[in-house]
Amino acid sequence: MAQGTSTLAAKPQRVQPRTRSWTTRLRNTLRRPQFWFGVTIIVPTLIWYWLFAYQPIILAFRLAVVKYQLLDPPSSPFVGLDNFRQLFANPLFLISVRNTLTWSIFSFIGMLPIALGVSICLVNVKRGRNWYQGILFLPVVISLVAIALLFRMLMDPEIGQFNRILNAVGLPSFPWLSSSDTALATVVGIGVWKGLGFYIVILTAGMLNIPMELHDAATVDGVNGWQRFRFMTLPLIAHTLALVMVILALGALQEFTGVFVLTNGGPGNATYMLNLLIYQEAFQNIHFGIATAAALLQFVFIIFISLLQLRLIRPKWSY
Amino acid sequence: MATTVLKQRPVASRRRISISFSQIFAHLVLLVMAFLSLTPFVWMILASFKNFKELVSSTNFLPEVWTLNNYSEIISRVNFPVAFINSTISAASVTAVTLFTSAALGYIFAKYRFWGKEQLFAVLLSTIMVPFAVVLVPLYITITGLGLANSLGGIIITGLWSTFGIFMLRQFMETIPFELIDAARIDGASEWRIFLQIIIPLSGAPLAALAVFAFLGNWDSYLWPLVVLSSPEKQTLPLVLAGLRNLWWTRYEMWSAGSMLTVIPVMLVYAFASKYFIRGIAMTGIKG
Repeated sequence: MAQGTSTLAAKPQRVQPRTRSWTTRLRNTLRRPQFWFGVTIIVPTLIWYWLFAYQPIILAFRLAVVKYQLLDPPSSPFVGLDNFRQLFANPLFLISVRNTLTWSIFSFIGMLPIALGVSICLVNVKRGRNWYQGILFLPVVISLVAIALLFRMLMDPEIGQFNRILNAVGLPSFPWLSSSDTALATVVGIGVWKGLGFYIVILTAGMLNIPMELHDAATVDGVNGWQRFRFMTLPLIAHTLALVMVILALGALQEFTGVFVLTNGGPGNATYMLNLLIYQEAFQNIHFGIATAAALLQFVFIIFISLLQLRLIRPKWSY
Repeated sequence: MATTVLKQRPVASRRRISISFSQIFAHLVLLVMAFLSLTPFVWMILASFKNFKELVSSTNFLPEVWTLNNYSEIISRVNFPVAFINSTISAASVTAVTLFTSAALGYIFAKYRFWGKEQLFAVLLSTIMVPFAVVLVPLYITITGLGLANSLGGIIITGLWSTFGIFMLRQFMETIPFELIDAARIDGASEWRIFLQIIIPLSGAPLAALAVFAFLGNWDSYLWPLVVLSSPEKQTLPLVLAGLRNLWWTRYEMWSAGSMLTVIPVMLVYAFASKYFIRGIAMTGIKG
């Protein structure tokens, strides 16, 4: 397996015929310490990946086409695409897909411009950049469950601080999470608040990576701030931006914990996400097949969206 | 690579007036954003020291009467100490093993040559693409089959290898010169010794970043523990914390105290190691 590193490949050998037989080569391989180190690490790795990554994926494809019998799995009858048919017949499925897509689009609209704007400010300040980043990043590291509880307190319709502040400045109370008209937008807002620091840090790092000479050249050419951003910064952080957008889309399409703790899909079905449906089908209705069918559709969609974004945004060059 | 990224860098000199104006504007924006990020947490910290009557009636930011009753009540009524131990065991063991497996595989993929290496790497990496929802039910079936349902082992074992960690450490270890390893081999060092005494000490920065990711990811994870752990004495902090919603409907001072108990370790680590958090994230964005 392991044949050593480059320079040690030509290990001095005892006098041997030119053409070594495969037994000699095997014996030489077995004698190498690298081979044993490699085997000790790679064999458990392969076992783990088989058990907890590949075998579950294969099982997922099987689950999607059988009516899973919890007590006697091997005898689960093959039902073809019936799980998918039942999924589409469930009115909640279309609602959850629509909510998830709306959530993702809102997240993009909310997150990207703010993250870009704050990153530009961060790149421009001469002092305190690490302090600002440290504070802006704090919501990212705090448990999402704690943040969901925190905002439920702040957004309580009667005694929440947000409405008290609104009332104190003479504005009417806002329903926040308690009305189906505003709940989705509110949840997106909380998601943006929680995730912003992550994207700011990535974008700032990308912007700081732009070679200094280009800034100087831009200054010599006398460009204004908008031109500098539009024609220099934006194209040069295109790689980073593509990464940010793919991560953002992956996260948004798989949203679960935030809405589960904040609203549990409500009020009504206003914040009912696809992953909520998958969780409820799987572990409350014990419809393993339908849940996995929905997850596979999500998988296909995520691959499609990621490739599309990379094709559209990712530039052909690198520096 | 990462250490240079976040250092202060002089901004190209412009005319003085425009510099000071843009500086003030940038600082204003950042101060507002920092205020918005921080205030809810400060409110939560203070709310955990208020009694219920004051929390729902007074609009004051600071507590009029500071009290620790919320903490003593929550510790006596809810499983917080047990959950704290469970979370610590699970996060610590996952972090320790992930660091080891990622470093060892990073070293092998960066410095060994063997038949099928790149293919093997690609096959491991491909698992990153799969959404967790796809493997949620199959993993649950697997874990149940192994007899690990409703046990901490069930949430630990699925976290022992990290594809992202392997990728990150391979990227870094490819920058370690071969000469160093060869010199150690000539001096008669064993592979394990090379790995533990040369490779690992040289990889401090990415390992610190990975440790932070692994620990936080496990400490904060919710969906998988929710599925695996059902009995109260097995639950981790986020599960117990989310359970407060149903236990004490709108007892917000208890929610605050519970959140504080969950969040304090993270905040403490963050106060001392925020640069590793931020560097680690920044590192992933550089090469895109």
